[in-house]
Parts: sequence; C-alpha cells; structure tokens
Amino acid sequence: MIPTKERKKTSTITRWRLFIQACAFLLILVNPFLILHFHFTFIQGWYQSLGIGKLWIVSPLEGMESILVARHLYPPLLVGMLIPILLALLLGRVFCGWICPIHFLSDLSDRLVTVVTGKKRIRDRFILPRSIFWYSLVGEFLLAMILGAPFFVFLSPAGLVGREIMNAVFFHTLAVEGVVVLLVLGMNLITRRFYCRYLCPLGALLALIGSKRKLKVRRNPNACVSCGLCDRACPLGLKPSLDEGKSVHCWNCGACVDACATNALSLEWHTQANNLPELPVDHAPGSSPAPEESKR
Amino acid sequence: MNRIRNARRSFLKILAGLFLLPARKACAGGIFQSPVATNRLRPPGAVSEEIFTGKCIRCGRCIEVCPYRSIIQLDARVGIHAGTPLIRAEDVPCYLCMKCVEVCPTGTLRRIRQEDTRMGLAVVDRHRCITWREEALCRTCYNVCPFKEKAIRLDELRPVIDEKYCTGCGLCTHGCPISTEDGRKAVNIEPLYSGLRR
Repeated sequence: MIPTKERKKTSTITRWRLFIQACAFLLILVNPFLILHFHFTFIQGWYQSLGIGKLWIVSPLEGMESILVARHLYPPLLVGMLIPILLALLLGRVFCGWICPIHFLSDLSDRLVTVVTGKKRIRDRFILPRSIFWYSLVGEFLLAMILGAPFFVFLSPAGLVGREIMNAVFFHTLAVEGVVVLLVLGMNLITRRFYCRYLCPLGALLALIGSKRKLKVRRNPNACVSCGLCDRACPLGLKPSLDEGKSVHCWNCGACVDACATNALSLEWHTQANNLPELPVDHAPGSSPAPEESKR
Repeated sequence: MNRIRNARRSFLKILAGLFLLPARKACAGGIFQSPVATNRLRPPGAVSEEIFTGKCIRCGRCIEVCPYRSIIQLDARVGIHAGTPLIRAEDVPCYLCMKCVEVCPTGTLRRIRQEDTRMGLAVVDRHRCITWREEALCRTCYNVCPFKEKAIRLDELRPVIDEKYCTGCGLCTHGCPISTEDGRKAVNIEPLYSGLRR
C-alpha cells in the first residue's frame, strides 16, 4: 500500500507541465486582448509563428511546406525554424507534450470527462498501427505539393486554436474550420490523443527530428515491478514498462514518471556515460516480489 | 435505391474531383478561386497571387500587428485560401503604416518602402463620379490621398489617377461618397499587379 501523501509528492512533473501548458495557452489567449486594447504588439501570432520582439519562431512543418510549395528560400524563415528544430533535436516532441494548446485542451476535457462519467480513466477503444503517423507526414507533404498550398497550415488544430481566439477577439467571428479543433477533441473519447498519436503531421515531423533526442524516459529495471501503472498513465498509449519511453513517439510529458510507484522511471539526459548497455535484470517481470494488489 | 445511387454518384464525383485536382487548378475555379478582386486586396508587399497561398503560413501576425484592423483573415469558405490576409478597401483601407511587412516571417509580404507599395491601382469610374458627371464638385478622393498631387491630381477640377504613383491603398475608395448597388464606389482599386509581380 502506497500512502497517498507520498504519491502526491511524486507528481511534480505533471504539475510543472500543467503550469507551462497553462502559461502557453494563456499567452495566446491574453495576447489578442493586449494587442486590441493596448496596442501592445511586442508579441504577435500563435503556435504557427510567434514573434517576440525581433525573435521569430516559426513552426518547422509550416515553414518547410512554405519553402517547398513556393520554391523560394527566405533566410529569416530558416532562422525562425531553428529554435523549434533545436528543441526537437535535443528534447524530442516536447512541443506536443508541454506547449501545444490541443494537448492542454485535451487534458482539460479528459478531466471533465472523468468528472462527468465518474470513470477513473478513459479507455483506448480504437488502436491503429503507429506507422500511420509517418504516412500522415508524407501524405501531408504530398497533398501540399499537389494543392499548391501548405495544407496543414489552415487546418492545423494547434494553430487553429490561436486563430479562433484572435478572430473572436478582433472581429467577433469564428472561422468555420474551428470544427477541426472540436473534432480532434472529440476523437479523444474514442482513443486518448487519437489525433496526436496517429494523425498529426507536425508531431510526426518533430518525432522524426527528435529520433536521436537526448532527453528520454529511462526505466531502472531493478526497481521496476512491472505493475503497469505507467502504461495506463501514458496519454499516447505507450508502454514505458517495456521501454517504449525511448521510442520516437514519446513526447516526454512525464506522466509515466509521476505514475510510477517505485520511482523506477525518470526523465534523464542521455549522454555517452549512461548510454552503456542495460544492467542485467535481477528478476523476471512475472516473478516480481511485489504482487500487483499491493499497489492499488 | 435512389439514395444509394445518389450516394454512389456523389462519391464518384468526389473521387474524380480528387484526381482532377491539378487540372482544376489550371482553370482556377472552385476552391482555388483567388479572393483577390476589385477592392479586395492583399496587404502591402505581397508576392504574386499565384504563390501567395503557397507561401503564406497563415500565422496571422500581419493581422494582429495592423493598428487599423484593415487586414482581415479569410476562413474556409474561400477554399485553400483560408487563413490568408485580405484588405477590403471600402470597409477599412490600408493606411500604409508598413507594420505588417515588418513581421511577416515567410517573406510573403516583402519588406518594401511605403511609396513602392502596389496593392492595386485606383480607377475612377467616370460614369459614376459626380464630378466627372458634372453634377457636383466633389474632390474627396483627392483630399484623402496620401500622395496628393502625385497619385491623384485635379484636371480641370476632376480627379485623375497617375498609375506611376498610385499605391492602391484604397483611401480614396473608402472616402468616396458614391456607392453603387453592386457595392462599389466611384473610384475602385483594381488589383492589377497581384498577378504580375513576384
């Protein structure tokens, strides 16, 4: 039996993540009001391109599509894509897990659903092969080239949230494509983060860039008792108990780390030193000394 | 049975439409129809309309930074141009503050000088302009023009546009007191340059 107090103490990563997500969401929520009423244009845009003073941040997928479709290189665009690409190279899909407004809204709606239905967790009812993720990225690029317009940019849920907020504040209207956001949130009812798991081309691109990332969820096989708490906590349906936290799909949100009862999981900076082969496992998962009942 | 047949027919239509997408682009209709038209202009410094929609990433920064709310954002009703910026000259014209060209991250709005802006060309409709019809002496367009005496001058008290200096900002259209039943004014901005310049 794990005391509840101790369990609470370990949820620090989730709390930090929610804080950062909330700040990132507040930024795009409050900023249009600041611009409209105070002409404070120091920060413009949302998570397609964010301008903070002279610092420009451009989403790499949109930027690449723009370059490919228009066949013209614009140096400031390349510089703007640098920060997100570096972030993805080192930390993986952290944009998805820690900043993206869709993940934040999904988190909130998940909590709402658990309150309304009274169920403790939402099941993943519909599982697809994860390779769809890569087809989605390739298909997206092909579609953009065929249409002659960067397709993702006007239907990207991550950008649409910001656009709808801006349109609502500035012009008191909502664009019709905001339905996409509702659809994406609705798909969470079928499978948690269905869109983020299988369909998001931006997530796929960030995952691809971050395939050799430094920050990974590391499992200490000696401490792990294979209780499966982490597998249930993962919003992407990965199985950290089988070291799937090291896969490209993981977005380093740390939900599994917080769920772990034995502190066997940790987010760790991967260097050459701890890149050594795993220590031999002391006990097979089946013959674990701590039976599963003890942790409920 | 009929419903099934209709469903099948529309499905086949959609399928055929998907295969014919590039062909449809050539005839430039439907979802590829550009929203640029008379008094419907791209912001200053815009690249040619053919690549505008491919280059713009719809980040909305030009719209947010515009202090006059001249630029609006289109939605999915204009097909693939959804999310691109547009100026409706007769509603709110462009005051040529050139803030939008400073923030565009993709170079879709090129950084140009104020007087080099060519969003379109003002055209006086001499059949509608009351000064040209010799019904009254109105010179509102002349008064509001930011390049007075250059872009609009008075020829025997009648307004004449000089295409060498007209930026197509739409201030004259906005100011013009004459509205016709088709929503136009006596002086309109024709987006002449949107297809020509890269």
